[in-house]
Amino acid sequence: MKDKKKIGVYICHCGGNISDYVDVEKVREAVSGDEIVFLSKTTMFACSDSNQRDMVEDIKEHNLDGVVVASCSPKLHLTTFRNVSERADLNKYTYVHANIREQASWAHSDNKMGATEKAIHLVKAAIAKAHYAEAQVAPKIKAEKRVAVVGAGVAGMKAALSLADKDCEVLLIEREPFVGGRVAQWDTLSTTTETGKEMTTRLYNELLKRDNITILTNSELIGNKGSVGNIELTVRKSPRYIKGNCHPEDLKRAIEVCPVEVPDEFNFRLSNRKAIYKNYPSEYPQTPVIDMKSCTRCGECEKVCSSIDLSEQAEELTFNVGSVLMATGFDSYTPAYGEFGYATSDNVITLPQFKRMIDTQEGKLIHKGKEVHNIAYIYCVGSRQEEGGNTYCSRNCCTSTIHAAVTAKEKFGKINNFHFNRGLRTYGKQELLYADSLRNGDIYLQSYEDGPPTVTPKGDKTIVKINDILTAGEELEVAADLVVLVTGMVPRADNKVGSLFKLPKGRDQFFNEVHMKLRPVETVIDGVTIAGACQGPKNIAESVNSALSASTKSFSIVSKGELETEPLIAVINDDKCTWCGACEEACPFDAILKTEKDGRTIAQINNSVCKGCGMCTPVCEPDAIDLIACSSAEIMSMIDALA
Amino acid sequence: MENTIKNITYDALVIGGGIAGGEAALNLAVTGFKVLLVEKDLSVGGKMIMLSKVFPTLDCSACITTPKISEISRHPNITIFTGTEVGNIRKVSDTEFVAKVTKKPRYVHVADCTSCQLCEQACPVSVSDEYQYGLVGRKAAFIPFSIASPKAAAIDIDNCTLCGACEKVCPTNCIDFTMVPETMNLHVRTVILATGFDLIDPKKMPRYGYGTFKNVLTAMQMERQLAPTRPFNTILRPGDGKMPDKLAYVLCAGSRDATVGNPICSQICCMYSIKQAQLLMGALPMADVTIYYINIRSFGKGFEEFYQQAKGMGVNFVKGKIGRITEKENGNLTLRYEDINTGKLMEADHDMVVLSTGVVPPKGIDGLFEGETLYMDQFNFVKQSDPLANPSKTSIDGVFVAGTATGPMDIPDSILSAGSASSEAISYLIQHV
Repeated sequence: MKDKKKIGVYICHCGGNISDYVDVEKVREAVSGDEIVFLSKTTMFACSDSNQRDMVEDIKEHNLDGVVVASCSPKLHLTTFRNVSERADLNKYTYVHANIREQASWAHSDNKMGATEKAIHLVKAAIAKAHYAEAQVAPKIKAEKRVAVVGAGVAGMKAALSLADKDCEVLLIEREPFVGGRVAQWDTLSTTTETGKEMTTRLYNELLKRDNITILTNSELIGNKGSVGNIELTVRKSPRYIKGNCHPEDLKRAIEVCPVEVPDEFNFRLSNRKAIYKNYPSEYPQTPVIDMKSCTRCGECEKVCSSIDLSEQAEELTFNVGSVLMATGFDSYTPAYGEFGYATSDNVITLPQFKRMIDTQEGKLIHKGKEVHNIAYIYCVGSRQEEGGNTYCSRNCCTSTIHAAVTAKEKFGKINNFHFNRGLRTYGKQELLYADSLRNGDIYLQSYEDGPPTVTPKGDKTIVKINDILTAGEELEVAADLVVLVTGMVPRADNKVGSLFKLPKGRDQFFNEVHMKLRPVETVIDGVTIAGACQGPKNIAESVNSALSASTKSFSIVSKGELETEPLIAVINDDKCTWCGACEEACPFDAILKTEKDGRTIAQINNSVCKGCGMCTPVCEPDAIDLIACSSAEIMSMIDALA
Repeated sequence: MENTIKNITYDALVIGGGIAGGEAALNLAVTGFKVLLVEKDLSVGGKMIMLSKVFPTLDCSACITTPKISEISRHPNITIFTGTEVGNIRKVSDTEFVAKVTKKPRYVHVADCTSCQLCEQACPVSVSDEYQYGLVGRKAAFIPFSIASPKAAAIDIDNCTLCGACEKVCPTNCIDFTMVPETMNLHVRTVILATGFDLIDPKKMPRYGYGTFKNVLTAMQMERQLAPTRPFNTILRPGDGKMPDKLAYVLCAGSRDATVGNPICSQICCMYSIKQAQLLMGALPMADVTIYYINIRSFGKGFEEFYQQAKGMGVNFVKGKIGRITEKENGNLTLRYEDINTGKLMEADHDMVVLSTGVVPPKGIDGLFEGETLYMDQFNFVKQSDPLANPSKTSIDGVFVAGTATGPMDIPDSILSAGSASSEAISYLIQHV
């Protein structure tokens, strides 16, 4: 070891988060005796501006060689204290972090002595690491000034526009043949006069105006290589089987002659569509598509339309981007067989189906041939479930249902709305809509989670019964023509894209952000941001806000054209290496190459590709590989301190 | 006179130094734009810096706010003016707004103040401390609060007797009574309004007895009692200093209530009350906590689970809105309400009552612009001109809105809204060179 170091150790109270369970003064005393600890202090908030200033002064005044802060997770404040070190003219990699909040005080709040003991060990281990921590130079890599946006729903389209307006190239990838996502499926939207289709059209036209956006529909992301700054994406673009410039009348004929009928997912299987189809006339892109999964290749359409080409093949395209913005949206909850009569009773449908019915019908509201007058809405289906199901609230369904109920009444007249709810959550100004519906004469009946309404068929009606807490538990029933199950938002069942990037999920199984308040649109995967309802239930405005936030974050990653990366990479001891190839096999990033040096065959690290994951070190029999800034010696000394 | 007014130029003006304004300023600064952040208060940090812990993660609020504030105060692209009011803003062209701002005198040179607090000790004047929401007193020479930024003394000139005691003890001679208001013309290319919200004045609901009954507090006062920088280091009822053991929360105090002109839901009170209830169960393990509610609105990510957790911890939830509160001789309070479960009128005694007061817009925002009209909604929040597709756009091109200036919002939503507004502002700056 070189000359004796001088370091400062700061133990944070975290305003009680730590000090309520860990005796911080005892921790300070226990570690102050280490030979390199020159000063040790406790502080109410290590991260506060005033303490940061004190630390800088301490470092400068006492010529410290490094600093250890024992506080919260490095996820929150590693960078904060590295920056403090830099401001005091220290190399930021001389800083060592100890987490005594998540790992000691919070984890052991039932055992103060034990928590304190553990905190002492954790800080001692950090000091042991500080013995070795040396100045490092962070390598810089080139960053592609291009961002891939995955999903062209409202969040994805807004993110793409926002990036394009920041003079950043955008690749907008949509799995479906058409853009617009969920919003395109909705007719009227709450708080505006614009319909979902109109909003989609407006945004799509904006996309077309910008020449730095490439739109890929019918395209799926299937490959991902590299890392932040230089991500190589493989996209599989499925053919539409229709070449451009076709005559619209011919295409219409082609749809007419197609003999195949399949359930229409756009209408949530309420109706059927052909194998060659478009969901609605003004849909974008304007060219229809042939759904090859259902197409029988009978050739009828080809006979009436010259632009159809069933021989078109899927293409695989590769793109390099600096960052990926995920806006993959949500699925609607599908009720279980028999859940409130779903699939077992003709009169029971889901909220998205109901919204499609309102959109597609005129004059009278008809379901299965009968005119609908009494509608019962059963709330929280698939949300706020007590056990085994989705425990979360889907946030948007209360407002969405009331909006649909108000719209149905306006559009079809003679409608009586009965809302079987669990406590309305029309938060903020959405309360006004709730008030509107009350003025409209809508009836609200309420239960707690343990007393949901029951659904029983009776003739061509369905009886919905509840013990209504608003009338002191009285049993009330409605003979409904239609029962609408207010189904919540669930994460996408198809998580291929998420798995491709190994995106972590939260308790609710939606993609998880790093920190709800500090880093709400970032994920632990460097360079991948999340926007819209793939992170959790959101309404349109909330999705757009998160999309714009994510676009700024992705932009800030790529905007400078280069990125600083961690110096933590593997290094080969040339003398010890005997090239057995084990490391090459273990490396998940293909960062290890075979090379000749001084007549010997040895391993070489490709520094720009190595991620410092450490997979190679344990498989190296002659112990010829070490990690910079995380060496075996450091780790061993930390383990000794913890023992 | 005009000639003597200092002219300064920035890319963006952010009005309001709370969490939304701070986040927006930081996003702009990181992208390379020069930002002036104007805050009317003596410290940045807004309401959030005053909070104890935040739902639903129970992170301590200061742990999130202070490092962010530290980053904002240190960023080379951000200039912060505290104690500064924006007089009016004129739009000169698509690329220029001129804002007249006035820096009120602090009577302390911030750069020289070491926050040693000797002036505080020397000052003979005691007044109610607005930063502790009136729970305790402060001096006329004072540091706003322990984690304020800038952490420097200020003189409350309205209450100061000009005795000079502070000046005498100040070791750095940073107190200066000759300071005068300084007005400047700011030339900026875009404006972000992050003017935040006020809490409704509970005296507007005399039926709850706030201001008359000593043991009726607001949730913000409770927040201060629970915060790490708390004045008493425990929970006390203001009437007699007794530790309460039967607390009640009155939800929708001034929200969803047409009688006080605020029919909308404040969106945050359910959750902050549930959070305080959980913290109280930790601080006062023997105490009973009851929450009286109309509907519990735990709608955000992790919120419903947080609500269920509170139930699991033993917080008592009673469905029924409090109609009236009366005070007993011993300072305890009787709450009268309709118990929705039974449909009966009930009365319940508690020794401390917390009013979960709602969110209302701050005053004076609608008059900020000259020549152009900033449209407000029916409640006097800033109106969003395209609320779904462009939530941060206002009626004036180049002016964006962030956080609770448009209506009630919790912290995560405010931060996303600030991200949205700053994103629009960045695009605007790039497109309007």
